[in-house]
Amino acid sequence: MTERHDHTHETNAGSSQIRTAALEDLLVEKGIVDRSRIDSLVERFEHDLGPMIGARLVARAWLESEFQSRLVRDADEVLRQENIRGAEIEHVEVKVNEPGVHNVVVCTLCSCYPWALLGLPPAWYKSPEYRARVVREPRKVLEEMGLSLEPDTEIRVWDSSSETRFLVLPEQPAGSEGLSMEDLAALVTRDSMIGVAKALNP
Amino acid sequence: MVVFTPSTVVPLAEDESNMNRAQRVHDLGGAFGWGRVPYDPQEEPFHEEWERRVFGMVFQVLPHTAVRPGEFRYALERLAEDDYFAPDGYYGRWRSAMEVLLEEYGHVETGELDGRLGAPSGTSASYRVQSPASVDEKDLPPDSSAPVPEHRTVRRELDRNPGFRIGDRVVATGNTAGGHTRLPDYVRGVSGVVVKIHPAEVLPDSTAHGLGERPQHVVSVAYQARDLWGEGAEEKVVINVDLYENYLQLEAEAQ
Repeated sequence: MTERHDHTHETNAGSSQIRTAALEDLLVEKGIVDRSRIDSLVERFEHDLGPMIGARLVARAWLESEFQSRLVRDADEVLRQENIRGAEIEHVEVKVNEPGVHNVVVCTLCSCYPWALLGLPPAWYKSPEYRARVVREPRKVLEEMGLSLEPDTEIRVWDSSSETRFLVLPEQPAGSEGLSMEDLAALVTRDSMIGVAKALNP
Repeated sequence: MVVFTPSTVVPLAEDESNMNRAQRVHDLGGAFGWGRVPYDPQEEPFHEEWERRVFGMVFQVLPHTAVRPGEFRYALERLAEDDYFAPDGYYGRWRSAMEVLLEEYGHVETGELDGRLGAPSGTSASYRVQSPASVDEKDLPPDSSAPVPEHRTVRRELDRNPGFRIGDRVVATGNTAGGHTRLPDYVRGVSGVVVKIHPAEVLPDSTAHGLGERPQHVVSVAYQARDLWGEGAEEKVVINVDLYENYLQLEAEAQ
Protein backbone atom coordinates (compact mmCIF):
# COMPACT_ATOMS: atom_id res chain seq x y z
CA MET A 1 0.00 0.00 0.00
CA THR A 2 1.27 3.42 -0.84
CA GLU A 3 0.83 6.46 1.30
CA ARG A 4 -2.28 7.75 -0.39
CA HIS A 5 -4.31 4.80 0.92
CA ASP A 6 -3.71 5.42 4.59
CA HIS A 7 -6.93 7.24 5.40
CA THR A 8 -9.37 4.61 4.24
CA HIS A 9 -10.81 4.06 7.68
CA GLU A 10 -10.99 7.67 8.73
CA THR A 11 -12.87 9.26 5.89
CA ASN A 12 -15.92 8.75 3.76
CA ALA A 13 -15.37 5.58 1.77
CA GLY A 14 -17.11 7.26 -1.13
CA SER A 15 -14.64 10.10 -1.48
CA SER A 16 -13.24 10.51 -4.96
CA GLN A 17 -9.65 10.12 -3.98
CA ILE A 18 -10.19 7.02 -1.86
CA ARG A 19 -12.54 5.35 -4.28
CA THR A 20 -10.17 5.97 -7.18
CA ALA A 21 -7.18 4.60 -5.23
CA ALA A 22 -9.14 1.48 -4.27
CA LEU A 23 -10.23 0.94 -7.86
CA GLU A 24 -6.62 1.32 -8.99
CA ASP A 25 -5.44 -1.27 -6.46
CA LEU A 26 -8.18 -3.67 -7.50
CA LEU A 27 -7.40 -3.35 -11.21
CA VAL A 28 -3.65 -3.69 -10.65
CA GLU A 29 -4.30 -6.93 -8.73
CA LYS A 30 -6.47 -8.19 -11.58
CA GLY A 31 -3.79 -7.38 -14.13
CA ILE A 32 -5.96 -4.88 -16.00
CA VAL A 33 -4.08 -1.75 -15.01
CA ASP A 34 -0.35 -1.06 -14.88
CA ARG A 35 0.51 1.84 -12.57
CA SER A 36 3.48 2.98 -14.59
CA ARG A 37 1.31 3.19 -17.70
CA ILE A 38 -1.05 5.50 -15.83
CA ASP A 39 1.91 7.77 -15.20
CA SER A 40 3.13 7.65 -18.79
CA LEU A 41 -0.34 8.23 -20.28
CA VAL A 42 -0.91 11.22 -18.01
CA GLU A 43 2.55 12.55 -18.74
CA ARG A 44 1.96 12.37 -22.47
CA PHE A 45 -1.43 14.03 -22.43
CA GLU A 46 -0.61 16.61 -19.80
CA HIS A 47 2.79 17.75 -21.07
CA ASP A 48 3.43 16.65 -24.66
CA LEU A 49 0.07 17.80 -25.96
CA GLY A 50 -1.30 21.23 -25.48
CA PRO A 51 -2.56 24.42 -27.01
CA MET A 52 0.92 25.27 -28.30
CA ILE A 53 0.30 22.86 -31.17
CA GLY A 54 -2.86 24.65 -32.28
CA ALA A 55 -1.27 28.03 -31.53
CA ARG A 56 1.57 27.40 -33.97
CA LEU A 57 -0.93 26.58 -36.72
CA VAL A 58 -2.81 29.80 -36.02
CA ALA A 59 0.35 31.92 -35.97
CA ARG A 60 1.50 30.47 -39.27
CA ALA A 61 -1.94 31.05 -40.78
CA TRP A 62 -1.67 34.72 -39.75
CA LEU A 63 1.73 35.01 -41.41
CA GLU A 64 1.03 33.04 -44.59
CA SER A 65 -2.31 33.55 -46.31
CA GLU A 66 -1.63 30.58 -48.58
CA PHE A 67 -1.21 28.35 -45.49
CA GLN A 68 -4.44 29.74 -44.05
CA SER A 69 -6.31 28.90 -47.27
CA ARG A 70 -5.03 25.34 -47.19
CA LEU A 71 -5.88 24.97 -43.51
CA VAL A 72 -9.43 26.13 -44.06
CA ARG A 73 -9.91 24.08 -47.22
CA ASP A 74 -8.51 20.78 -45.91
CA ALA A 75 -7.10 20.82 -42.39
CA ASP A 76 -6.66 17.03 -42.42
CA GLU A 77 -4.23 17.32 -45.33
CA VAL A 78 -2.25 20.06 -43.57
CA LEU A 79 -2.06 18.04 -40.34
CA ARG A 80 -0.76 15.04 -42.30
CA GLN A 81 1.88 17.18 -43.99
CA GLU A 82 2.92 18.74 -40.69
CA ASN A 83 2.99 15.30 -39.07
CA ILE A 84 0.51 16.36 -36.38
CA ARG A 85 -1.27 13.23 -35.21
CA GLY A 86 -2.98 11.90 -32.13
CA ALA A 87 -6.20 11.49 -30.28
CA GLU A 88 -9.44 13.14 -31.29
CA ILE A 89 -8.34 14.76 -34.54
CA GLU A 90 -9.48 12.25 -37.13
CA HIS A 91 -11.27 14.98 -39.02
CA VAL A 92 -10.64 18.64 -38.25
CA GLU A 93 -12.30 21.76 -39.55
CA VAL A 94 -10.86 25.23 -39.01
CA LYS A 95 -13.36 28.08 -38.65
CA VAL A 96 -12.07 31.59 -39.28
CA ASN A 97 -13.07 34.58 -37.20
CA GLU A 98 -13.21 37.82 -39.15
CA PRO A 99 -14.85 41.21 -38.73
CA GLY A 100 -18.57 40.50 -38.36
CA VAL A 101 -18.20 36.71 -37.84
CA HIS A 102 -17.30 34.94 -34.59
CA ASN A 103 -17.08 31.15 -34.19
CA VAL A 104 -17.40 29.20 -30.95
CA VAL A 105 -17.16 25.43 -30.32
CA VAL A 106 -19.10 23.16 -27.94
CA CYS A 107 -20.09 19.53 -27.53
CA THR A 108 -23.60 19.45 -26.08
CA LEU A 109 -23.80 15.63 -25.91
CA CYS A 110 -20.50 14.95 -24.14
CA SER A 111 -17.25 16.90 -24.25
CA CYS A 112 -15.64 16.29 -27.66
CA TYR A 113 -12.54 18.41 -28.14
CA PRO A 114 -9.47 18.32 -30.44
CA TRP A 115 -7.07 16.86 -27.86
CA ALA A 116 -4.06 16.58 -30.14
CA LEU A 117 -4.31 20.28 -31.05
CA LEU A 118 -5.37 21.85 -27.75
CA GLY A 119 -4.47 19.31 -25.06
CA LEU A 120 -7.10 18.06 -22.65
CA PRO A 121 -10.14 20.30 -22.17
CA PRO A 122 -10.61 22.53 -19.12
CA ALA A 123 -13.46 21.68 -16.76
CA TRP A 124 -15.58 24.66 -17.80
CA TYR A 125 -15.74 23.33 -21.39
CA LYS A 126 -17.15 20.06 -20.00
CA SER A 127 -19.55 21.77 -17.58
CA PRO A 128 -23.31 21.37 -18.00
CA GLU A 129 -23.60 25.16 -17.80
CA TYR A 130 -21.52 25.67 -20.94
CA ARG A 131 -22.98 22.69 -22.81
CA ALA A 132 -26.58 23.66 -22.08
CA ARG A 133 -26.38 27.39 -22.59
CA VAL A 134 -23.89 28.22 -25.34
CA VAL A 135 -26.24 26.92 -28.03
CA ARG A 136 -29.29 28.77 -26.67
CA GLU A 137 -27.73 32.09 -25.66
CA PRO A 138 -24.15 32.27 -26.94
CA ARG A 139 -23.95 36.07 -26.91
CA LYS A 140 -24.92 36.20 -23.25
CA VAL A 141 -22.65 33.31 -22.26
CA LEU A 142 -19.64 34.85 -24.03
CA GLU A 143 -20.39 38.20 -22.39
CA GLU A 144 -20.44 36.52 -18.97
CA MET A 145 -17.10 34.91 -19.82
CA GLY A 146 -15.62 38.29 -20.64
CA LEU A 147 -16.04 38.45 -24.41
CA SER A 148 -18.38 41.21 -25.60
CA LEU A 149 -19.22 41.02 -29.28
CA GLU A 150 -20.80 43.76 -31.36
CA PRO A 151 -24.56 43.24 -31.76
CA ASP A 152 -24.17 42.97 -35.52
CA THR A 153 -21.45 40.30 -35.31
CA GLU A 154 -22.85 36.95 -36.40
CA ILE A 155 -22.13 34.12 -33.96
CA ARG A 156 -21.64 30.67 -35.43
CA VAL A 157 -21.80 27.89 -32.86
CA TRP A 158 -20.31 24.50 -33.83
CA ASP A 159 -21.75 21.55 -31.88
CA SER A 160 -19.27 18.65 -32.10
CA SER A 161 -21.85 15.91 -32.57
CA SER A 162 -19.87 13.69 -34.98
CA GLU A 163 -16.16 12.80 -35.03
CA THR A 164 -15.37 16.14 -36.69
CA ARG A 165 -13.40 18.41 -34.36
CA PHE A 166 -13.28 22.16 -34.70
CA LEU A 167 -10.49 24.70 -34.24
CA VAL A 168 -11.28 28.40 -34.26
CA LEU A 169 -8.78 30.65 -36.04
CA PRO A 170 -8.98 33.86 -34.02
CA GLU A 171 -8.45 37.29 -35.57
CA GLN A 172 -4.88 38.54 -35.49
CA PRO A 173 -4.69 41.28 -32.85
CA ALA A 174 -3.91 44.82 -33.95
CA GLY A 175 -0.32 45.81 -33.40
CA SER A 176 1.07 42.31 -33.86
CA GLU A 177 2.20 42.86 -37.45
CA GLY A 178 5.86 42.09 -37.95
CA LEU A 179 6.15 39.75 -34.97
CA SER A 180 7.85 36.38 -35.42
CA MET A 181 5.86 33.18 -35.60
CA GLU A 182 7.00 32.32 -32.09
CA ASP A 183 5.92 35.67 -30.66
CA LEU A 184 2.60 35.45 -32.49
CA ALA A 185 1.95 31.92 -31.19
CA ALA A 186 2.38 33.23 -27.64
CA LEU A 187 -0.68 35.46 -28.21
CA VAL A 188 -2.89 32.51 -29.21
CA THR A 189 -4.56 31.17 -26.08
CA ARG A 190 -6.40 27.89 -25.78
CA ASP A 191 -9.64 29.74 -25.18
CA SER A 192 -9.23 31.87 -28.32
CA MET A 193 -9.11 28.63 -30.33
CA ILE A 194 -12.31 27.37 -28.63
CA GLY A 195 -13.88 30.73 -29.43
CA VAL A 196 -14.67 32.08 -25.96
CA ALA A 197 -11.90 34.70 -26.03
CA LYS A 198 -9.89 36.79 -28.46
CA ALA A 199 -6.17 36.35 -29.01
CA LEU A 200 -4.06 38.38 -26.58
CA ASN A 201 -2.83 41.84 -27.50
CA PRO A 202 0.93 42.13 -27.95
CA MET B 1 -12.55 17.11 0.55
CA VAL B 2 -14.59 16.22 -2.48
CA VAL B 3 -17.31 13.81 -1.44
CA PHE B 4 -18.49 11.26 -3.94
CA THR B 5 -22.08 11.05 -2.76
CA PRO B 6 -24.17 13.46 -4.81
CA SER B 7 -25.71 16.22 -2.75
CA THR B 8 -25.98 19.33 -4.86
CA VAL B 9 -27.58 18.24 -8.09
CA VAL B 10 -29.13 21.20 -9.86
CA PRO B 11 -32.59 20.30 -11.08
CA LEU B 12 -33.55 21.05 -14.65
CA ALA B 13 -36.26 23.66 -14.73
CA GLU B 14 -39.68 22.92 -16.11
CA ASP B 15 -40.10 24.46 -19.48
CA GLU B 16 -43.02 25.45 -21.63
CA SER B 17 -41.33 24.39 -24.88
CA ASN B 18 -40.43 20.98 -26.20
CA MET B 19 -37.46 20.45 -23.87
CA ASN B 20 -39.65 18.30 -21.64
CA ARG B 21 -39.09 15.37 -23.92
CA ALA B 22 -35.31 15.58 -23.49
CA GLN B 23 -35.34 12.69 -21.07
CA ARG B 24 -31.73 11.74 -21.72
CA VAL B 25 -29.62 13.17 -18.97
CA HIS B 26 -26.55 13.93 -21.09
CA ASP B 27 -28.44 15.62 -23.92
CA LEU B 28 -27.96 19.12 -22.54
CA GLY B 29 -28.13 21.46 -25.52
CA GLY B 30 -30.56 24.26 -24.73
CA ALA B 31 -31.61 22.87 -21.34
CA PHE B 32 -32.85 25.43 -18.81
CA GLY B 33 -31.82 25.53 -15.18
CA TRP B 34 -28.07 26.01 -15.56
CA GLY B 35 -26.33 29.16 -14.41
CA ARG B 36 -23.02 30.84 -15.10
CA VAL B 37 -20.23 28.83 -16.67
CA PRO B 38 -17.56 28.14 -14.01
CA TYR B 39 -14.97 29.89 -16.16
CA ASP B 40 -11.28 30.17 -15.39
CA PRO B 41 -9.08 31.22 -18.33
CA GLN B 42 -6.00 29.76 -16.62
CA GLU B 43 -7.62 26.46 -15.74
CA GLU B 44 -5.44 23.35 -16.05
CA PRO B 45 -6.91 20.05 -17.31
CA PHE B 46 -6.49 18.30 -13.95
CA HIS B 47 -7.31 19.72 -10.52
CA GLU B 48 -6.50 16.77 -8.29
CA GLU B 49 -4.21 13.79 -8.45
CA TRP B 50 -7.07 11.28 -8.46
CA GLU B 51 -8.33 12.79 -11.72
CA ARG B 52 -5.00 11.92 -13.34
CA ARG B 53 -5.28 8.37 -12.03
CA VAL B 54 -8.79 7.99 -13.49
CA PHE B 55 -7.62 9.34 -16.84
CA GLY B 56 -4.69 6.93 -17.01
CA MET B 57 -6.86 3.99 -15.96
CA VAL B 58 -9.61 4.55 -18.53
CA PHE B 59 -7.24 3.97 -21.44
CA GLN B 60 -6.24 0.64 -19.96
CA VAL B 61 -9.76 -0.46 -19.02
CA LEU B 62 -11.43 0.31 -22.35
CA PRO B 63 -9.51 -2.37 -24.34
CA HIS B 64 -11.00 -4.92 -21.88
CA THR B 65 -14.51 -3.48 -22.03
CA ALA B 66 -15.93 -0.82 -24.36
CA VAL B 67 -13.99 -1.35 -27.58
CA ARG B 68 -16.76 -0.41 -30.00
CA PRO B 69 -17.16 3.19 -31.21
CA GLY B 70 -19.69 4.96 -29.01
CA GLU B 71 -19.74 2.30 -26.33
CA PHE B 72 -17.92 4.28 -23.63
CA ARG B 73 -20.03 7.36 -24.37
CA TYR B 74 -23.15 5.23 -24.06
CA ALA B 75 -21.97 3.93 -20.68
CA LEU B 76 -21.68 7.56 -19.52
CA GLU B 77 -25.14 8.33 -20.89
CA ARG B 78 -26.70 5.41 -19.04
CA LEU B 79 -25.58 6.68 -15.64
CA ALA B 80 -28.32 7.80 -13.27
CA GLU B 81 -28.80 11.56 -13.18
CA ASP B 82 -27.26 11.86 -9.70
CA ASP B 83 -24.15 10.03 -10.89
CA TYR B 84 -23.93 11.93 -14.18
CA PHE B 85 -24.01 15.27 -12.35
CA ALA B 86 -22.06 14.12 -9.29
CA PRO B 87 -19.98 16.88 -7.72
CA ASP B 88 -16.69 15.24 -8.62
CA GLY B 89 -17.35 16.22 -12.19
CA TYR B 90 -16.12 14.82 -15.44
CA TYR B 91 -13.51 12.43 -14.09
CA GLY B 92 -15.90 11.23 -11.39
CA ARG B 93 -18.32 10.44 -14.21
CA TRP B 94 -15.55 8.59 -16.06
CA ARG B 95 -14.80 6.54 -12.95
CA SER B 96 -18.47 5.66 -12.53
CA ALA B 97 -18.74 4.56 -16.17
CA MET B 98 -15.56 2.54 -15.73
CA GLU B 99 -17.04 0.75 -12.70
CA VAL B 100 -20.20 0.01 -14.69
CA LEU B 101 -18.29 -1.43 -17.65
CA LEU B 102 -15.97 -3.51 -15.47
CA GLU B 103 -19.00 -5.15 -13.85
CA GLU B 104 -20.93 -5.58 -17.09
CA TYR B 105 -17.93 -7.29 -18.70
CA GLY B 106 -17.39 -9.49 -15.66
CA HIS B 107 -14.00 -8.17 -14.56
CA VAL B 108 -15.26 -6.92 -11.22
CA GLU B 109 -18.08 -8.40 -9.18
CA THR B 110 -21.05 -6.35 -8.09
CA GLY B 111 -20.24 -4.83 -4.74
CA GLU B 112 -16.59 -5.85 -4.87
CA LEU B 113 -15.22 -2.32 -4.68
CA ASP B 114 -17.79 -1.20 -2.11
CA GLY B 115 -16.84 -4.23 0.00
CA ARG B 116 -13.16 -3.30 -0.05
CA LEU B 117 -13.94 0.23 0.96
CA GLY B 118 -16.19 -0.85 3.80
CA ALA B 119 -18.91 1.15 2.06
CA PRO B 120 -22.54 0.17 2.19
CA SER B 121 -23.35 -2.05 -0.72
CA GLY B 122 -24.93 0.12 -3.37
CA THR B 123 -22.53 3.06 -3.35
CA SER B 124 -21.33 2.15 -6.82
CA ALA B 125 -23.00 3.86 -9.77
CA SER B 126 -23.55 0.41 -11.26
CA TYR B 127 -26.49 -0.09 -8.87
CA ARG B 128 -28.32 2.78 -10.52
CA VAL B 129 -27.20 2.51 -14.12
CA GLN B 130 -29.68 1.82 -16.92
CA SER B 131 -29.07 -1.38 -18.81
CA PRO B 132 -28.26 -0.94 -22.49
CA ALA B 133 -31.45 -0.46 -24.50
CA SER B 134 -32.37 -3.18 -26.89
CA VAL B 135 -32.18 -1.61 -30.33
CA ASP B 136 -34.20 -3.08 -33.16
CA GLU B 137 -32.18 -3.46 -36.36
CA LYS B 138 -35.32 -2.42 -38.25
CA ASP B 139 -34.78 1.09 -36.88
CA LEU B 140 -31.24 1.30 -38.29
CA PRO B 141 -30.18 1.89 -41.90
CA PRO B 142 -29.08 -1.19 -43.88
CA ASP B 143 -25.61 -2.51 -43.07
CA SER B 144 -23.91 -1.80 -46.37
CA SER B 145 -20.30 -2.81 -46.15
CA ALA B 146 -17.33 -0.51 -46.66
CA PRO B 147 -13.66 -1.44 -46.68
CA VAL B 148 -12.13 -1.11 -43.22
CA PRO B 149 -8.90 0.87 -43.32
CA GLU B 150 -5.74 -0.58 -41.83
CA HIS B 151 -5.34 2.09 -39.19
CA ARG B 152 -7.89 2.52 -36.44
CA THR B 153 -10.39 5.11 -37.56
CA VAL B 154 -14.14 5.59 -37.71
CA ARG B 155 -13.93 7.03 -41.21
CA ARG B 156 -15.00 4.89 -44.15
CA GLU B 157 -14.98 5.31 -47.93
CA LEU B 158 -18.47 4.81 -49.32
CA ASP B 159 -19.20 3.91 -52.92
CA ARG B 160 -22.50 5.77 -52.84
CA ASN B 161 -23.13 9.50 -52.98
CA PRO B 162 -24.55 11.41 -50.04
CA GLY B 163 -28.33 11.64 -50.14
CA PHE B 164 -28.24 15.41 -49.64
CA ARG B 165 -26.72 18.41 -51.34
CA ILE B 166 -25.44 21.68 -49.98
CA GLY B 167 -28.38 24.05 -49.71
CA ASP B 168 -31.01 21.35 -49.10
CA ARG B 169 -33.53 22.12 -46.35
CA VAL B 170 -33.61 19.13 -44.02
CA VAL B 171 -35.29 17.95 -40.83
CA ALA B 172 -33.80 15.45 -38.38
CA THR B 173 -35.79 12.62 -36.86
CA GLY B 174 -34.51 9.41 -35.38
CA ASN B 175 -33.70 7.33 -32.36
CA THR B 176 -36.20 7.85 -29.58
CA ALA B 177 -35.96 4.35 -28.13
CA GLY B 178 -33.25 5.02 -25.56
CA GLY B 179 -30.30 3.68 -27.49
CA HIS B 180 -27.13 5.60 -28.14
CA THR B 181 -27.42 8.41 -30.68
CA ARG B 182 -25.54 11.52 -31.75
CA LEU B 183 -28.71 13.39 -32.63
CA PRO B 184 -29.09 16.20 -30.09
CA ASP B 185 -32.72 16.55 -29.07
CA TYR B 186 -32.81 20.32 -29.59
CA VAL B 187 -32.60 20.03 -33.38
CA ARG B 188 -35.12 17.22 -33.69
CA GLY B 189 -37.97 18.25 -35.99
CA VAL B 190 -36.50 21.69 -36.74
CA SER B 191 -35.76 22.86 -40.27
CA GLY B 192 -32.08 23.50 -41.13
CA VAL B 193 -29.88 23.92 -44.20
CA VAL B 194 -27.09 21.59 -45.34
CA VAL B 195 -23.83 23.56 -45.40
CA LYS B 196 -21.23 20.83 -45.84
CA ILE B 197 -20.86 17.08 -46.36
CA HIS B 198 -18.11 15.50 -44.26
CA PRO B 199 -16.42 12.13 -44.89
CA ALA B 200 -18.46 9.06 -43.97
CA GLU B 201 -18.17 7.53 -40.50
CA VAL B 202 -19.44 4.36 -38.85
CA LEU B 203 -22.85 4.93 -37.24
CA PRO B 204 -22.55 5.17 -33.43
CA ASP B 205 -26.26 4.34 -33.00
CA SER B 206 -25.36 0.91 -34.35
CA THR B 207 -21.76 0.32 -33.27
CA ALA B 208 -22.44 1.20 -29.62
CA HIS B 209 -24.92 -1.68 -29.56
CA GLY B 210 -22.76 -4.16 -31.47
CA LEU B 211 -25.03 -4.10 -34.52
CA GLY B 212 -22.45 -3.42 -37.21
CA GLU B 213 -20.85 -0.36 -38.75
CA ARG B 214 -23.59 0.89 -41.13
CA PRO B 215 -21.40 3.83 -42.23
CA GLN B 216 -23.12 7.11 -43.10
CA HIS B 217 -22.10 10.36 -44.69
CA VAL B 218 -22.00 13.10 -42.09
CA VAL B 219 -23.90 16.24 -42.93
CA SER B 220 -23.25 19.63 -41.38
CA VAL B 221 -26.60 21.38 -40.89
CA ALA B 222 -27.00 25.07 -40.02
CA TYR B 223 -29.94 26.11 -37.85
CA GLN B 224 -31.10 29.66 -37.27
CA ALA B 225 -31.41 30.37 -33.54
CA ARG B 226 -34.97 31.65 -34.02
CA ASP B 227 -36.01 28.33 -35.58
CA LEU B 228 -34.61 26.43 -32.60
CA TRP B 229 -35.57 28.69 -29.72
CA GLY B 230 -38.44 30.83 -30.95
CA GLU B 231 -39.09 34.57 -30.87
CA GLY B 232 -36.92 35.32 -27.86
CA ALA B 233 -33.80 33.90 -29.49
CA GLU B 234 -30.64 35.99 -29.77
CA GLU B 235 -30.21 37.84 -33.06
CA LYS B 236 -27.62 36.82 -35.64
CA VAL B 237 -26.87 33.38 -34.23
CA VAL B 238 -26.43 30.20 -36.29
CA ILE B 239 -25.96 26.79 -34.69
CA ASN B 240 -24.21 24.15 -36.80
CA VAL B 241 -24.67 20.47 -35.97
CA ASP B 242 -23.05 17.45 -37.66
CA LEU B 243 -25.63 14.76 -38.32
CA TYR B 244 -25.37 11.23 -39.72
CA GLU B 245 -27.38 11.25 -42.90
CA ASN B 246 -29.79 8.54 -41.81
CA TYR B 247 -31.10 11.02 -39.19
CA LEU B 248 -32.20 13.41 -41.95
CA GLN B 249 -35.06 13.84 -44.36
CA LEU B 250 -35.62 16.55 -46.93
CA GLU B 251 -38.03 18.99 -45.35
CA ALA B 252 -40.29 18.76 -48.39
CA GLU B 253 -40.63 15.01 -47.83
CA ALA B 254 -41.01 15.04 -44.05
CA GLN B 255 -44.41 13.97 -42.62
